Amino acid sequence: MPSGPQVVVTGLGTVNALAGSVHEFATALRAGTCAIGPVTVFDTTGYRSRIAAEVPHELAEAPSGPGAALRRRLSRSDVFALRAAAEALADAGLPGDVAPERIGLALGGTTGGMLRGEASLRARIQGTRDRYPSAAVVGAPISASADVLADAFDVAGPRLSLSTACSSSANALGAALDWIALGRADVVVAGGTESLCRMTFAGFNALHALSLEPCRPFDRGRSGLSLGEGAAILVVESAEHAARRGARAHAELLAYGNSADAHHLTAPHPEGTGAILAMRRALERAGLEPDAIDYINAHGTGTPLNDAVEAAAIAAVFGDAAPHLAVSSTKGAVGHTLGAAGAIEALATILALRDGFLPPTVNLDDPDPACLLDLVPRTSRPAALRYALSNSYGFGGNNTSVVLGHA
Amino acid sequence: MTDTQDLKQRLKELLITGLRLQDVAPAGIADDQPIFVEGLGLDSIDALELVVLIEEHFGIAIPDEEVGKKAFASINALAEFIAAEQSRA
Repeated sequence: MPSGPQVVVTGLGTVNALAGSVHEFATALRAGTCAIGPVTVFDTTGYRSRIAAEVPHELAEAPSGPGAALRRRLSRSDVFALRAAAEALADAGLPGDVAPERIGLALGGTTGGMLRGEASLRARIQGTRDRYPSAAVVGAPISASADVLADAFDVAGPRLSLSTACSSSANALGAALDWIALGRADVVVAGGTESLCRMTFAGFNALHALSLEPCRPFDRGRSGLSLGEGAAILVVESAEHAARRGARAHAELLAYGNSADAHHLTAPHPEGTGAILAMRRALERAGLEPDAIDYINAHGTGTPLNDAVEAAAIAAVFGDAAPHLAVSSTKGAVGHTLGAAGAIEALATILALRDGFLPPTVNLDDPDPACLLDLVPRTSRPAALRYALSNSYGFGGNNTSVVLGHA
Repeated sequence: MTDTQDLKQRLKELLITGLRLQDVAPAGIADDQPIFVEGLGLDSIDALELVVLIEEHFGIAIPDEEVGKKAFASINALAEFIAAEQSRA
């Protein structure tokens, strides 16, 4: 049985390659738009792949409003986080009369201000005079974006910056749930932010993990992932707290489960043992049987290995129901946003539950028969959904599944 | 333009480019305006940055906070400090 209070999501915000707001994101998701294109934030000459899902230039500019005083120091990740948080907090009607010390902040990310640091180092190597500025040091760590948000929005409760590779922001939602259940905070601002940078691009490129064309999750011809960037922020609180202050719930956040493969630095466990464990733990904590789940937002990166193992793991958990279970990946649309992926995909899942549709697997033309699931190729479908699962699997065997429900 | 005016102009440009000030032009910085906090809104991280910039561009070290506080009071103060240090050399 689930323990702890009922927890709901009362505020939503995002910036990603598809959208500068939640409304735009919902529209683009339904339309099945692909935002993957040429990389412009740095030179990709010489790389095998030269594409990614880049946030449009105007949305990467420091916003006016909260955080404006810091704007000349903001990293690209900070800007995404600030924009998404401003939208989510306004949506949730915060701060209202909630005390700053009762608002927690849990933010996932994997590279922080890496992009700026790379530019400085590059200039130095090339002999251009661009000494590494002190401001870039402040903005470099993965913890910097949470510092910026706390400062901009006066969030003084518990704070965590989480980095568990591509499951970072799914674990941030988990931290939010735990804090609410333990009474450590009344409201938690939770999510993730990530900016494209040379390190991740060159790294995935060198591993031959980047697709040369926009990624095609679960396609028979899939050949790798496409990187993306952006942020999503969710405002999480107990249903009781939300009701008391008259906040509307977009969805219920029921439970999360996480696990480690303890197997390999980049490859998932061949039998998906960690993925299976994370899904089962999440379902168990939510007090749900597998047949209660109407939709899974898959990790679905588009690499041959991830999608095959994830499909097998889902088949193991859902048994005979798997072939008819709606499972789609958002990564054909917004790319793999690494530390922000868990939050962006939880957001996509919430919109699916709230608005009654199955987000499509964009770029999926020829579903891999080895992935025997209803993969919602190309086109979204209307569907009344009660409960859904969002999977996030990171390098190093970091697995997290989050259970969300219709409000 | 006198040497002093020239130096002040150079310092203003250095502040703007070195500290990445936005929406500020050299003409918008008054010679006697406080540089930190209530003036240009710079903070302690900028102070560290400015120490390094002055050292790089003028070869002049700012050894401690006492000296820094006086030297960074305004563009006038900074220009006087640099001129004094240069004449000592």
